[in-house]
Amino acid sequence: MSVADALWRFPSAMMAWRNLGRNRMRTALAALGIVIGVVAISSLGMAGVALQQQATSNLGSLTNQVSVSAGQDSDYDGVTEEQVEEIRSIITDAEVVPQKSNSTTVSSRGKEAYVSVTGVTNAAALYDVSSGEAPERLQTGALISNSTAQDLGLELGDPVEYDGHLYRITGLIDSSSGFGPGGGRGELVIPISGLADQKYYDSVTIIAADGDAASVIANTLDEHFNTDGRDEEEVLRVSSYASVQENIGSFLNTLQLALLGIGGISLVVASVAILNVMLMSTVERRQEIGVLRAVGFQKFDVLKIMLSEAVLLGVIGGVAGVVFSLVAGMVINHFIVGDAFLVFRPSNFLYIGLAFGFGVGTSLLSGLYPAWKAANERPVEALRS
Amino acid sequence: MSVIELDDVVKRYESGAQTVTALKGVDFHADRGEMVTIIGPSGSGKSTMLNMIGLLDTPTEGTVHLDGRNVTEFTEDELTEERRTTLGFVFQDFHLLPMLSAVENVELPSVWDTSVDRHDRAIDLLKRVGLGDRLDHTPDELSGGQQQRVAIARSLINGPDILLMDEPTGNLDQDTGRTILEEVTRLKDEENIAVVAVTHDDQMLDYTDRTVRIVDGVIQS
Repeated sequence: MSVADALWRFPSAMMAWRNLGRNRMRTALAALGIVIGVVAISSLGMAGVALQQQATSNLGSLTNQVSVSAGQDSDYDGVTEEQVEEIRSIITDAEVVPQKSNSTTVSSRGKEAYVSVTGVTNAAALYDVSSGEAPERLQTGALISNSTAQDLGLELGDPVEYDGHLYRITGLIDSSSGFGPGGGRGELVIPISGLADQKYYDSVTIIAADGDAASVIANTLDEHFNTDGRDEEEVLRVSSYASVQENIGSFLNTLQLALLGIGGISLVVASVAILNVMLMSTVERRQEIGVLRAVGFQKFDVLKIMLSEAVLLGVIGGVAGVVFSLVAGMVINHFIVGDAFLVFRPSNFLYIGLAFGFGVGTSLLSGLYPAWKAANERPVEALRS
Repeated sequence: MSVIELDDVVKRYESGAQTVTALKGVDFHADRGEMVTIIGPSGSGKSTMLNMIGLLDTPTEGTVHLDGRNVTEFTEDELTEERRTTLGFVFQDFHLLPMLSAVENVELPSVWDTSVDRHDRAIDLLKRVGLGDRLDHTPDELSGGQQQRVAIARSLINGPDILLMDEPTGNLDQDTGRTILEEVTRLKDEENIAVVAVTHDDQMLDYTDRTVRIVDGVIQS
């Protein structure tokens, strides 16, 4: 059995295929509309994905942190050692870093700078240093903001004084790292023992794997400490920057929808083109359709043939569109993320699939009216024309 | 028994405010193995009558019997099914589908029927009308006479009881028309079917068994 014989098993598909082949230029132009629509939707979708990934990785160092301090209903002026232990027992899969803080004036060579002082043991978890090192167990040295060090003319190895003790500078904190605690002010980081006269911790920073994990941790802690029976009280103030990420995420989602909407408009235009082509083709083939009806094709058979044509147009345009989309996606990923092959990530295929589905769906929709019109033509009148 | 029978058929068309009566009480019948030719001037109601016989149109009054069954009350889908199984059509303009080959055109009326081996029958029919060597040609590669033969083969694919021909020789030269009519006559006898033709062509009267003349929607003889 030849290919043609096999195709005859699906007469409507076969007839549709042959009909599309009759006017190749027209078919190609109608399909081109779908191609453009599919490429527009999927490449804009992929651009959104790439932007989102880029934004997440830029914000990543900040949004995975949860910060805990004493709440307004707390009996203590800070976070107690017991509470820190309790947090550690609940949160086992993230770094828990308790801190004590104060502020002071650091002076060197006749110059002064007002800095906030943080006492912490695991300095590595909180600070990025531009030179020197941030130890995981800070026992003796100190870290100081790069900008403060420059203002005061301090270098690695120089001593700074706080509360009567001298600390040797072992690292310079990269001042541009994030906009978290400390704000724009200079920072001095010393071992927690340096602030031993403060009984409680001022804050506890928890560093989670990512923004989502940070949200979960924040919620867990909030529920654990701040719900006493039915009463809501704030023993600990739990805040995370995950909400910042959520806001940015929701902004990017809005942007994505807007981009997809723009892509969708091009598909609408394409569907009008298909509607036009199909209507012209039913008018031109009026007699033929009359013959089909005369020799015993039911209305439904004619409907099937016409709809198959529309769907086939959509599939042809859709397949070509997917191919071009992948190329466009490689270009987009090359320029936004810097890796062209990231186009093959699953979320991109969601958009490509969506675009393909919309392309075929639009074609089907625009084929409905012409098909219905052709099917309902009375054979007598169709033959007479 | 007649295979097709029209009883006192009246057809009225509403055309704007006017009502046109195309058929004014027509009686007609055709039997198997018989070729009946309907003649008459333009606008006399020939085509309307052929449409009634071909179940393409329904009468305003009167009844149509096909093989003894009253088809006047049939739904549109039932009429379409009757056209497919009982009737064959041959048109003046051949009306072959240009994107299909000769054999595919012949198969066309049977594509929805998977129970028969239509391909072999289509080839057989094309051989019988002398086109065994033109099976895969498309209509634009065939002459007018060849196209009309393909159309005749197409009309016979479902083994009809009646073959309806609307000016079958109208677009053919005299000689080609004559061959076509000889072909039809032979097939009519072989398949034992009724042939009803509408024509202006005098040479057709040489092949016909009976002639019905219609003027102004009334049968004359």
